[in-house]
Amino acid sequence: MILQAIAFWVFASITVAAAVMVISAKNPVHSVLFLILAFFNAAGLFVLLGAEFLAMILIVVYVGAVAVLFLFVVMMLDINFAELRQGFLQYLPIGLLVGLVLLVELAVVVGGWVISTDATARATAKMPAVDQVPNTDALGQLIFTHYLYLFQGAGLVLLVAMIGAIVLTHRSRPGVRKQNISDQLARDPKETIEIRKVQSGSGI
Amino acid sequence: MPVAAFPDLIPAIPEIYLAVSAMILLMLGVYSTGKQTVRTVSYLSTAALFFAIPLTVMVTDGRMVTFGGLFVTDSFAVYAKILVLVSAGAAIVMAQDYLERQDIARFEFPVLVVLASLGMLMMISANDLMSLYLGLELQSLALYVIASFQRDSIRSAEAGLKYFVLGALASGILLYGMSLIYGFAGTTNFDSLAEVFKAVNGTEPHLGVIVGIVFIIAGLAFKVSAVPFHMWTPDVYEGAPTPVTALFAVAPKIAAMALFARVLVGPFGDLAGEWQQIIIFISIASMALGAFAAINQNNIKRLMAYSSIGHMGYALIGLAAAGSAVSAEVRAAGIQGLLIYLAIYMFMNIGTFACILLMRRQGRMLEGIDDLAGLSKSNPVMAMVLAVFMFSMAGIPPLAGFFGKFYIFAAAIEADLFALAIIGVLASVVAAFYYLRIIKVMYFDSSEEEFDRPVSRDMKSILVITGVVVILFFIYPDPVLNGAELATSALFPQ
Amino acid sequence: MAEFWTAYLWPLLWIVIKILAIVVPLLLAVAYLTLAERKVLSAMQMRRGPNVVGPFGLLQPIADGMKLFFKETIIPSGANRGVFILAPMLTFSLALIAWAVIPVGAGLVLSDLNVGILYLFAISSLGVYGVLMAGWASNSKYAFLGGLRSAAQMVSYEVSMGFVIITVLLVVGSLNLSDIVMAQKGSFGMFNWFWLPLLPMAVIFFISTLAETNRHPFDLPEAEAELVSGYNVEYSAMTFALFFLGEYANMILMSAMTSILFLGGWLPPFDIAPFTWIPGPIWFALKIAFCLFIFIWVRGTFPRYRYDQLMRLGWKVFLPISLAAVVIVAGFLVTFDLVPA
Repeated sequence: MILQAIAFWVFASITVAAAVMVISAKNPVHSVLFLILAFFNAAGLFVLLGAEFLAMILIVVYVGAVAVLFLFVVMMLDINFAELRQGFLQYLPIGLLVGLVLLVELAVVVGGWVISTDATARATAKMPAVDQVPNTDALGQLIFTHYLYLFQGAGLVLLVAMIGAIVLTHRSRPGVRKQNISDQLARDPKETIEIRKVQSGSGI
Repeated sequence: MPVAAFPDLIPAIPEIYLAVSAMILLMLGVYSTGKQTVRTVSYLSTAALFFAIPLTVMVTDGRMVTFGGLFVTDSFAVYAKILVLVSAGAAIVMAQDYLERQDIARFEFPVLVVLASLGMLMMISANDLMSLYLGLELQSLALYVIASFQRDSIRSAEAGLKYFVLGALASGILLYGMSLIYGFAGTTNFDSLAEVFKAVNGTEPHLGVIVGIVFIIAGLAFKVSAVPFHMWTPDVYEGAPTPVTALFAVAPKIAAMALFARVLVGPFGDLAGEWQQIIIFISIASMALGAFAAINQNNIKRLMAYSSIGHMGYALIGLAAAGSAVSAEVRAAGIQGLLIYLAIYMFMNIGTFACILLMRRQGRMLEGIDDLAGLSKSNPVMAMVLAVFMFSMAGIPPLAGFFGKFYIFAAAIEADLFALAIIGVLASVVAAFYYLRIIKVMYFDSSEEEFDRPVSRDMKSILVITGVVVILFFIYPDPVLNGAELATSALFPQ
Repeated sequence: MAEFWTAYLWPLLWIVIKILAIVVPLLLAVAYLTLAERKVLSAMQMRRGPNVVGPFGLLQPIADGMKLFFKETIIPSGANRGVFILAPMLTFSLALIAWAVIPVGAGLVLSDLNVGILYLFAISSLGVYGVLMAGWASNSKYAFLGGLRSAAQMVSYEVSMGFVIITVLLVVGSLNLSDIVMAQKGSFGMFNWFWLPLLPMAVIFFISTLAETNRHPFDLPEAEAELVSGYNVEYSAMTFALFFLGEYANMILMSAMTSILFLGGWLPPFDIAPFTWIPGPIWFALKIAFCLFIFIWVRGTFPRYRYDQLMRLGWKVFLPISLAAVVIVAGFLVTFDLVPA
């Protein structure tokens, strides 16, 4: 399919280009926007793979929620990023060296890659047949049955993250008056308002 | 629609129970507004942790695997879980006074400790690389938070941040290793992995697999703070609030060490030839660094950090012996030595940190070794107890620490790892220097002022229990020895 | 050549025709929605509203459009040019591409996506970027504050919207929008539509759409009194027009979503003779018009929320209720064995 091939190359090249821009853009807000672009195109690649559920979740969760908060924070930061980058050239050779070593190691590992016999069969053993079940159903069947334990565990990890964020940042400031709506609604006019007849000229 | 059967929940009851009680305690803390809330939550958390011990023992009946092979419980898991639960419970008890005095007593602390222990139990019971990772993350995330629990102190915040950044890096390395293993084998389940590697046994294992194992070992070595992945330890130990340090020094180490043993002996058991030399190397490096770097320390928490690095080095000797090709008995002896060592290490460390928590003058916490000067005159009981722990850490017979090292070195010699055993003995001689220096400061230097009194009942009981265990271990060592033997048998099915 | 024509060009042309068939009526609807809003509001306030340009003021939207089109586009000197121009374009195009999956009648849909509802949800959650980018790129504190407010508001209400959608999905058992409409077909006509069985959810969903589109009473991002119009204060001419069009197109989109999820989409209110004569797209349009009327009605009736009240409503009222509803609906379905296959 030539159309799919074109779509793939478009999505893939934009993803890579956007990813490069994320780390090279001068303005941090631009970086985040490029990150969003990269996510978006990655979702496009998922669609091409036939994993439309993952594609949509990627957009809803990462682009629609996580990156928004990220952008939110970055926009409000008042950091001179040019200053932060000053040591960049100084450390560049070391960074390049480490990167090169890792790259060579990867090349050695991947270059002679062997996969044990019937690894694919083992990996796909639990999956429902692709041609019979839509991939949304298939994901549900895996996550909520075989991987129930991991699903619940991930929930606990998120709970801890939430508690942690609150513990480390929440401060109850003294002297703040908060609106208590239930108190307001529970007020009885009879107890709070007194209606008196005022004689003209005398006052209360 | 074919749906998998509902998993058997019984083997995981302790974990489910802890998760539910953590959530209930959280609710209790959030919704009750009384002044005693923090204390109540704290006591209930300790109770919850201790109650999980009989639960763990009761539900385990031989080897039980559930959740589609993701979760396993056996006598090995029970042994390690008991150690973890005891040390986490003790950490909460020790923390209560300290947190109140530092004005950071909040009910989230015990809840986070319970959640961290849950993560440790999940690590110990992992039977799959994915559940391993999830337990590890649950544990680490909770620990990162409590490391910076004293959030107004820059040191504590730095400790949390440093731990977090380096921990995230280690997790990344671990995950990378796992993905290499998965790429080779097509499975993450320990049992299936063991089968796969049994099948390739004899031939030279593939480079990708070796790199994967190396990365997994690196990730786990970070969690047990073995050299060369120890850099975070001194700073985090020093910066974190002292009871948190006490927890760090014991519970996560035990959990990670148990996990280390399960992963290396289980799925990678047939590749022992590949990983044994790595373990030997990090063991020697840890022992050496623990011995030499601690000599110049003046802060007792930093000293304990290096001491724990050294102790992890000794414990890893057991693991190295477990990779021996001599015989199954020798391998079992290595694991058994490791387990005994961990139990003794736990008691010694809890006791020592209880003493450190009592170093307080006019309400101010002290951390310098010099501050201990003249303790033998101002508080002879505490000086004696601390001296016992220090002698034990140095491995002086007949205290418990000696037996820990004895079983480890014996296993190493059986496994023909003579050099390792000799280096271990030499390292403990060097390490004895700084343990004995503390005793010298306490008994022979002149006193400045007394430490604050009175000592709370909780602290007293912890000191008495740990002290008695350490001193009298040689009279009745059977519970630990038999427990370790039973636990080891689970890893080496006949 | 002939093969090239049948294989590529013709399908492409056909898709373009279909897109135009959706977009042109949509843009007309947007134009006349602005007129309808002014007319309805004026009726509520006992005045006449626009009645000078053309008969009954029917040419008013055209005149407004011409005015915006011919004005000068001003870009503030401190603005971040690229982002500044991108923001209104993004808002407008997002409001349009969402329509690709909306079924206006049985089988009348541009792309019958399997995960249509997720697609809609994803696109609507992207809307926040236009506002945020506009607020930031304008380099003005009013615009920035408006953008931040809007981001927080939209993200907050998306959460409860998501849970409401999940309750619907639980009942339907499919993420396909046509399936969702067909699942509401039943012997009780309009009482089979989900607004009745999922009543509190329908209300929460509608209120959340008000917040999601930054409409009254949740129009804090553009609160005139505090922010002199909020995120779009620096925009003029066509760039402003695109925001304007985008906002109203979003209103129509949200009304369409409400109609599909809770008001039976293109289904007639009763499955009997006089109602079934009227084609589905007309019913669908009528339902959208009904929702839009409520949008305007609310604007004419309620005062603006205070910001903390808005957040309280989103996080402390809607989120727990909708979360509980997910559990209750799921429990109900399992207990009575009604889970869709």
